[in-house]
Amino acid sequence: MKIKIKGTGITKFGELWSQSLESLASDAALDAIKDSGLEKNQIEAVYVANMIYGKTANQDQLGALIASNLGIKGASLRVEAACASGGLAVHLATQAIMAQSYKNVLVVGVEKMTDVGISEITSALMGAGSESERKAGLTFPGLYALMAKSHMAKYGTTKKHLAAVSVKNHYHASMNEKAQFPFEITEEKALNSPEICSPFTLFDASPITDGAAAVILSSDLTSGSTNNVYITGSAVASDTVDLAARDSLLELRATKEASVKALKQAGVEIKDIDIAEVHDCFTIAEILAMEDLGFCKKGEGGDFIKKGITRLGGKMPVNTSGGLKACGHPVAATGLKQIIEIADQIRGRAGKRQAEGINCGLAHNVGGSGATVVVHIIQS
Amino acid sequence: MTKPAEIWREHKKLHSYLGKQGKLLVWTKILVAPVGFEHQTPYFVGIVILDGERMPVQIVDADEKQLKPNQKVEVVIRKIGKAKSEDVIEYGIKVKPI
Amino acid sequence: MIGIVSYGAYIPKYRIKPSQIAHAWGRDASEVENSLGVYEKAVASVDEDAITLSIESAYKALINGNIDPKNIGAITIGSESHPYAVKPSSTIVAGILGMGNDYLAADLEFACKAGTAGIQLMSGLVQSGKAKYVLAIGSDVAQSKPSDVLEYTAGSASAAFILGKKNIIAKLIDFTSFSSDTPDFWRKDNEKFPSHAGRFTGEPAYFAHVIGASEALLKKINLKPSNFKYAVFHMPNAKFPKTVSKKLGFSKEQMEPGFVVPYIGNPYSGSSMVGLAATLDIAKPKDKIFVCSYGSGAGADAFVFEVTPEIKAYQKSMKDTVTSQIKNKEYIDYSLIAKNILTKYRI
Repeated sequence: MKIKIKGTGITKFGELWSQSLESLASDAALDAIKDSGLEKNQIEAVYVANMIYGKTANQDQLGALIASNLGIKGASLRVEAACASGGLAVHLATQAIMAQSYKNVLVVGVEKMTDVGISEITSALMGAGSESERKAGLTFPGLYALMAKSHMAKYGTTKKHLAAVSVKNHYHASMNEKAQFPFEITEEKALNSPEICSPFTLFDASPITDGAAAVILSSDLTSGSTNNVYITGSAVASDTVDLAARDSLLELRATKEASVKALKQAGVEIKDIDIAEVHDCFTIAEILAMEDLGFCKKGEGGDFIKKGITRLGGKMPVNTSGGLKACGHPVAATGLKQIIEIADQIRGRAGKRQAEGINCGLAHNVGGSGATVVVHIIQS
Repeated sequence: MTKPAEIWREHKKLHSYLGKQGKLLVWTKILVAPVGFEHQTPYFVGIVILDGERMPVQIVDADEKQLKPNQKVEVVIRKIGKAKSEDVIEYGIKVKPI
Repeated sequence: MIGIVSYGAYIPKYRIKPSQIAHAWGRDASEVENSLGVYEKAVASVDEDAITLSIESAYKALINGNIDPKNIGAITIGSESHPYAVKPSSTIVAGILGMGNDYLAADLEFACKAGTAGIQLMSGLVQSGKAKYVLAIGSDVAQSKPSDVLEYTAGSASAAFILGKKNIIAKLIDFTSFSSDTPDFWRKDNEKFPSHAGRFTGEPAYFAHVIGASEALLKKINLKPSNFKYAVFHMPNAKFPKTVSKKLGFSKEQMEPGFVVPYIGNPYSGSSMVGLAATLDIAKPKDKIFVCSYGSGAGADAFVFEVTPEIKAYQKSMKDTVTSQIKNKEYIDYSLIAKNILTKYRI
């Protein structure tokens, strides 16, 4: 597989009161179109990723809505796989391009979360779980808290290990002007913040965020410019929606499967990965990702991060965007943001958080508690 | 939120769980609740195993100190969430430690 | 001869002391404790209601009696706190208990005697052979206006009795009921909390009807209080039942096993029924038990039971005596009361 990332665009992530979902999507998309150098009429399809807007705003048919707002005619659709919506939309675009259905596809991930209250958002996000989880009042943080407790009991992972993820990602975000929380935090602040769901404090959880991110994917590998960055692997794996039905609470099997498939497609091994954007919806998720993607052994994720290997300047930086925790998590936009961050690192556009010698990156996007996982390999 | 036909179907399943006992595998304490559960916070939720079936349930009548891995639990029937004034009440399975 | 085949009681685990309630309202608790004689009362959780309480006690009655729910031909639930004004609690409970479809169900309301009214009404179904077993439940989740004196006593509990013709542990020898139109305590349909007429709830209400029903029954079957081993009266507080039993000629010792009000408060339709359950928990064969419930509005149901030898095996295998449930408690403060009020009344 070799699909060009011809252009990217991303809005600020945060509480964007004066922006609507449609304006966010347009902003990101127009930036991506500009970056690509393409004309609007060269874009044959618009894939829109979004999770909750249908519920919170009663607006469906987002594909057609956003395409027509942009003045783009052609195919349009909306993709949903909870928090993996963005990655999945990119995956579908790669498949369409490989099938030669389209030459240029615009993929936009957008989420507007701050118009409704915290209880409604908590409920809307529980749509990623199962009905029995909803009836039990088992919230989205609750699901990951159960995994964290299991990991802590089995491998001795501590609250400090969890806090280390948050501290690192905030450090990265402090160099990202698009991030929701562009400031550093101390371990103490993370540990002493209010408890939301044992053992998680406020700083173990990604925030509620508005934002949009877009990429233009193209089968045209030749037309020059500075952006020689390609998707070389795109894989999806599924698991049970119900956490209680999983084989193990200590891993996301779908991460392992998708990672193996994507690496194979790209013809690279895990040791070839220079940089990664992983799905830290909660701090434990980044620890699990290090293990399940294959960067370290099962159970050693906490120490792996604490050693500093994944901090900017270390051997393999992870989540230089700030991750979901500090950059923000406009649900369906995250998968796109991750790919854009890696593309920027490869293109040398990451500003103060630019890492050195980046040629091959991995993006890891998870839906819910791990029922859908999408992994992309991006290379120069 | 609640749909009478769906509740009717779900209620029919409750009979087979009466009196069941099992154990608690893992649990958490929820402090930020979704719509319909705000009045219950803080509450405990966990994954239990009942007759070989693993399921997520709310844990009631429990003291935090009581909850240990493999804690023995028993099924109780309680109200699920909080029905809006014009809605049908949903009853469902929860567990309490024994 | 028909009688009780099995029974079950359920007392929620949480307790609140009058001092906690008084503290919430800036009052002194000791005076209340002395005049009402209630040390603590049982408080239901936010996710409990008269229906869930009924399921608990009725399920125990089924298990204790080893009875197939499909053989129950009729069910009544007496309560002042039915969750719906229209939609019977009894069919919801029957469905969850697995009673099938071949049964009569009716919800009853008669203040605190709705549960016992069911026993009287359905006894005929067993007597005539129309039903093999019938299930009578009394179940309530406390209702009282916050800061009203009723708050110190209004409790939550339920008790369920299965009547039949075979394997009875207590024969239902006879019963009467004494009723009149007496407005001592009431709640109109749209009102959140009940109202009461103060001292009028005493003599012309509780005492007139309990004495009326009890004296009528004793005369009818030609027995005296001294013929009975135990007596259970409706317990709105500790004073009224003690006073009425003295007036009728019963003793403190007779009332003792069923005297649950100091520990659980007054669970309205569950009061005398939980008292009867507590008495049966320890009664011996041939013991005669006198029961008289009272419901505001007003009426009193009086019963005479006689324990059979079957009770011995029953007591050995039964689960969760009333005493064990009274002991299984956890103290709480006013916050759970507040949550219950918010939940139930959608304030």
